[in-house]
Amino acid sequence: MPNIRLIARLDIKGPNLIKGVQLEGLRVMGDPEEFATRYYHQGADELIYMDVVASLYGRNNLTEIVRHSAQNIFIPLTVGGGVRSTDDVNALLRAGADKVAINTAAIKRPGLIQEVARRFGSQCMVLSIEAKKVSEGKWEAYTDNGREPSGLDVVEWAMRGCELGAGEIMLTSVDQEGTRRGFDCDLVRSVATAVPIPVIASGGMGMTEHMVEVVKAGCADAVAMADILHYKRMELPEIRAAGLDVGLHVRHL
Amino acid sequence: MEKKNVQQRYNLPGEIIYCKKCTISNQRPRITFDENGVCSACNYAEFKKSLDWDQREKELVDLCDRYRKNDGSYDVIVPCSGGKDGGFVAHQLKYKYGMNPLTVTWAPLLPTEIGRRNLDDFIGVGGFDHIMGTPNGKVTKLMTNLAFHHLGDPFQPFIYGQTNFPLKMAVQHNVSLIMYGENGEVEYGGDMKNAFKPTRDIEDHDKHYFSGLPPEFWVEHGVSPADLAPFCAPRYEEILRNKTQIHFFGYYKCWDPQENFYYCREHTGFTPNTERSEGTYSKYASLDDRIDGYHYYLGFIKFGIGRTTSDTAHEIRDGKITREEGIALVKKYDGEFPKKYFSDFLSYTKITEEQFWEAVDSWRSDHIWKQENGVWTLKKPIYEEG
Repeated sequence: MPNIRLIARLDIKGPNLIKGVQLEGLRVMGDPEEFATRYYHQGADELIYMDVVASLYGRNNLTEIVRHSAQNIFIPLTVGGGVRSTDDVNALLRAGADKVAINTAAIKRPGLIQEVARRFGSQCMVLSIEAKKVSEGKWEAYTDNGREPSGLDVVEWAMRGCELGAGEIMLTSVDQEGTRRGFDCDLVRSVATAVPIPVIASGGMGMTEHMVEVVKAGCADAVAMADILHYKRMELPEIRAAGLDVGLHVRHL
Repeated sequence: MEKKNVQQRYNLPGEIIYCKKCTISNQRPRITFDENGVCSACNYAEFKKSLDWDQREKELVDLCDRYRKNDGSYDVIVPCSGGKDGGFVAHQLKYKYGMNPLTVTWAPLLPTEIGRRNLDDFIGVGGFDHIMGTPNGKVTKLMTNLAFHHLGDPFQPFIYGQTNFPLKMAVQHNVSLIMYGENGEVEYGGDMKNAFKPTRDIEDHDKHYFSGLPPEFWVEHGVSPADLAPFCAPRYEEILRNKTQIHFFGYYKCWDPQENFYYCREHTGFTPNTERSEGTYSKYASLDDRIDGYHYYLGFIKFGIGRTTSDTAHEIRDGKITREEGIALVKKYDGEFPKKYFSDFLSYTKITEEQFWEAVDSWRSDHIWKQENGVWTLKKPIYEEG
């Protein structure tokens, strides 16, 4: 059984790391590289950089930060936001990203998933899904940092993305994001049991019990966290230790 | 429909100039620009940073001490829609400064589900006594229709109630203190005479909030005085006898709408909308009325200043976004037509689609708009600045 990965997620806007609640009210937190370096040294298994204004400018602005980070940080780095073509993917991978996360462009043109998977391999094609609860057991995929509904059903979209060659799904609950009230376990389980590829649960981690719950009840393969780390409510070694304590398959450091 | 002289009516400068620091233009009524091309709101934002907020908080504590009643009766009126701003004010006053507020809401013209839920949570989760003022729906519809045709703003009847209902509640409940959130004239650019004092002059109501036309104006358009009564202020002598004072919380505490959002998420059960509001990018402001999109849209037509321009301007001042991002947001969202509730709006106001667009076009000023191949575009949008 592969390890459950603990991932630090950094949403970036312009030069700043930002943090919102339900992807709204984006607070400026500081220099993203400072935070990223801290998480690397604390033993994060992976990092995710998301450019949250990329779709506004029609381009990903993280290349420079990625290039710089890749020189000092030696864990897998996923980069997302504004990735619209295989050329964009190429540029980010060359800058030092290990994987790219795609949401909006894949919804507009699902064929992009296939193109990226064929050219670079499924292992670097992460399908990012922003899920907003519609009713019990039903979620809609959103774009533009949780601002625009797409009409797509999340579970169906995840299955389709998987068929097209996505190697992993990063699943963000818009409702839980930034609330510290726990993951949407039903959502994570619905997707994780519908697709054979790994699912990263994102949005809602407020305490270690939430992590345990989303892995055990939600069948998550990896847990992304932001608020809890950025605000230093807890640090990664504590979180990892708490996971080990209850027998979660997290990496021993 | 007769073309309105917008420039004259609102005293707008003929040449459009944008603030060097934010996205607002000199077409916002009453705003002023300094010799460096910076708007009064940006200068005020800068001034705010130099203020001694501890001193201001002491003034607030003094004020509360002067007005606090210990006999169980209300000692402050807080106007609040159930949103993040009024929620912040009411919660701070009651739970931090020990006041006994009566919170009051003037009913939205056409409420939204999310707005109603937030108001219920404000009362139930936040914990407040509350009164809702709801006027005769038939009269309100008629007033909305009239206001749209005569003022180019369907929202005016709401603004009457929003402004006058708290005064009326203050008089009726023998409460002298009314506490509003921010002073829009100061925070967002306008008459700066109010920047250095905590209070608002009731005489300014007609000028600043009613476009020079108080509710009584509508009598000549067939609305009876009895039907108008709920929209009107109490008699001036009554306001004076009650020693009514209107204060702004933004004078005492550094006003930051985004931080209010965080506060109300924690304390009053506030939830942002499921998607962004049409015409802007945010999903946590002005959520409670299906009509207000048309208020903002008409503002865009009259002044070239839509909801995104206003939102980005204050977020730039608050250090949340850069001017570059603000301009990109304006280009993407400003002036987006609020189509979601368009049929609701038309049937509510009894206006046909044709009448609507005819009226809209009558408010387009030549110094702001040009028409090319039948399409209206801004003559000088901020994103085409050299």
